[in-house]
Amino acid sequence: MNLLNKISVWFIAIILLVTPVSMYISYTSIKKRLDNVEIERLKHVNIFVINQIKKGEDPAKTSQGLPISISLQSKKNIPSEPEVIHTCLENKGVSNNECKIQVNSYTKVDDKIYKISSYGYVSATQQIMSGMLVALFWKLLLITLIVFITARILSKFILKPFHHAISELQQFSIQKKERLQLSETSTKEFKKLNEFLETMTDKALEDYASVKEFSENASHEVQTPLAIIQSKIELLAETEINESQAILLTDIQNSIDKLSRINRSLILLTKLNNNEFLTNKELKFCTVEKEALCMYADHLALKNITLNRNCEKSVFIKIHPTLAEILLSNLLSNAIRHNLEGGKIEINLTHNYFQINNTGLPPHVPTQELFKRFKKSNQSQESIGLGLSIVKQICEVNDFAVHYDFADGWHSITVYFDNTNMHESSISERILTENPIAFEPVEQMINFAK
Amino acid sequence: MKILIIEDNNELAQSMKYYLEGESYICECAYHYHEALERLSFNSYDCILLDIMLPDGNGLNILNYIKTEKINSGILIISAKNALDDKINGLEKGADDYITKPFHLPELHARLRAVYRRKKMDGYSEVKFNEIILNTDTYEVIIHTARLEVTQKEFELLLYFLVNKNRVLSKQSIANHLWGDYTDNLANFDFVYQHVKNLRKKIGAAHGNDYIETIYGLGYKFNALKYSVT
Repeated sequence: MNLLNKISVWFIAIILLVTPVSMYISYTSIKKRLDNVEIERLKHVNIFVINQIKKGEDPAKTSQGLPISISLQSKKNIPSEPEVIHTCLENKGVSNNECKIQVNSYTKVDDKIYKISSYGYVSATQQIMSGMLVALFWKLLLITLIVFITARILSKFILKPFHHAISELQQFSIQKKERLQLSETSTKEFKKLNEFLETMTDKALEDYASVKEFSENASHEVQTPLAIIQSKIELLAETEINESQAILLTDIQNSIDKLSRINRSLILLTKLNNNEFLTNKELKFCTVEKEALCMYADHLALKNITLNRNCEKSVFIKIHPTLAEILLSNLLSNAIRHNLEGGKIEINLTHNYFQINNTGLPPHVPTQELFKRFKKSNQSQESIGLGLSIVKQICEVNDFAVHYDFADGWHSITVYFDNTNMHESSISERILTENPIAFEPVEQMINFAK
Repeated sequence: MKILIIEDNNELAQSMKYYLEGESYICECAYHYHEALERLSFNSYDCILLDIMLPDGNGLNILNYIKTEKINSGILIISAKNALDDKINGLEKGADDYITKPFHLPELHARLRAVYRRKKMDGYSEVKFNEIILNTDTYEVIIHTARLEVTQKEFELLLYFLVNKNRVLSKQSIANHLWGDYTDNLANFDFVYQHVKNLRKKIGAAHGNDYIETIYGLGYKFNALKYSVT
């Protein structure tokens, strides 16, 4: 239920509670008023008749046809005030819609006491009540309708700053480095909200910028000395050196290479954590996959690996192009590095998942552990142990699910593009669905590279 | 070729200068933002090596300056940031290529030559050395007027050697040149050996001279002085 409907419902509930009370009050006051008017009128009639009697005129002349009766009384003491008698009883010949009001006045003229009683009829309680109930029904209906309709119309104006703030917030991205701009409002609550949102997002932007700056500066500080060492070693290699010096230089070179790779990978992971690779564009994943395969054609040929590729066409995935490239190249190089000499690689790409299987030695640690940073199955000197954690991070950023299985000498990594729509395809199933027509030998792969 | 090196780190600037001067280029160094602007306003250069992060001003501002002053030099950005937005910004603002620290000096040189070829030689895409002619547009190799069938990788490798003649090229540097940044997980340099071997075989079969030498422990070298031109 939205805010305005809630307010309207409460408002109407209050009206429903208050109306009967106010109705009772107005009913009694109207009734009293009506009675009083009638009583006053009858009193005046009585006074008029008394005056006539006092003047010695025949009251019958004026009271003719009027509900006035004049009688002589034998009582000694007479009340100075006129008596008022209410009768609402049916059996006295009064219809149930009306009440009879009788006013008795007494006067003493020439030692004779006259009783002048006149009467009139006023509407009965039920009549007033039913009239008011009908009015009440229409009144409530009208109020409810108008409240709801005006709420709809007014909400567009009153809640405009609020809706604007919400949509701005939804579009706000810390990477865009744009300040949150909210519209001016005269509503106190919205003003407060906008102020709060603006200071909060400004602070977030500031913090983000400083964190980013720090990590960038840190990497800068490391990369420059590395570049210096690298360049100096290359210059040194140009000079006259003997064999043992050359071997030392190569060892240094290898370590620098590794160091710079680790640094680069860590920077990439930081960036992934900062969600710097956001995109709304759909990428043709199969093309990227093909390109990645071309890049590794040599590596496949060198290790004598047979590639079996089984891919659906026009697979579009929402992912940043750089990330797709890194993801695929990490998975492929992983599958090649940990493969056996003359082993096999199978690649399956459907609209739902990308799966890469390779032959290899059984892992020494549980497969899911291998996604952790610097976790290596065989602590091989060559790899830096960040490849799979980058894969995992890329999958997390893009809401993909990733699974690593090992069975019957096959390593299998599956990336599900839709986190919710995951259907496990086991290794046995995979072998059954193997499609020999899709087989593309390595030589053919090299041809696309040209 | 006249080159301006804009780099705040003296050591690195000297390395680059030393290497490039070995190719008989004229190199000047600028260590600060203002120094760079001053040099740019007085001299003209064929290529500019630009470090994006300078202590007293952003290197991207220099790019803006170059653009507004309509300086027609090839620009190669050097950055340690490896930040994607910088890369895109830089290339949008008129830089011709981008290289991240740490880099191999032969790689820097190869990129510089490529920028120079594109920007200053007006699409003249032939790289020539004695009997070898490479066409960088069509990926064709001609040895003694005969066309040599090579793969793209072999072409790139030969071009890399030709650009960095008489230099020791480490396996790392060659691998990095041929497969880029993302393949660096595979620290297996055997395939470099394989490609070099194939290339030498192909050139030999086309009666070209075998200029490529193996330098034990270090890598390879294209020895231009090995055979004198007859």
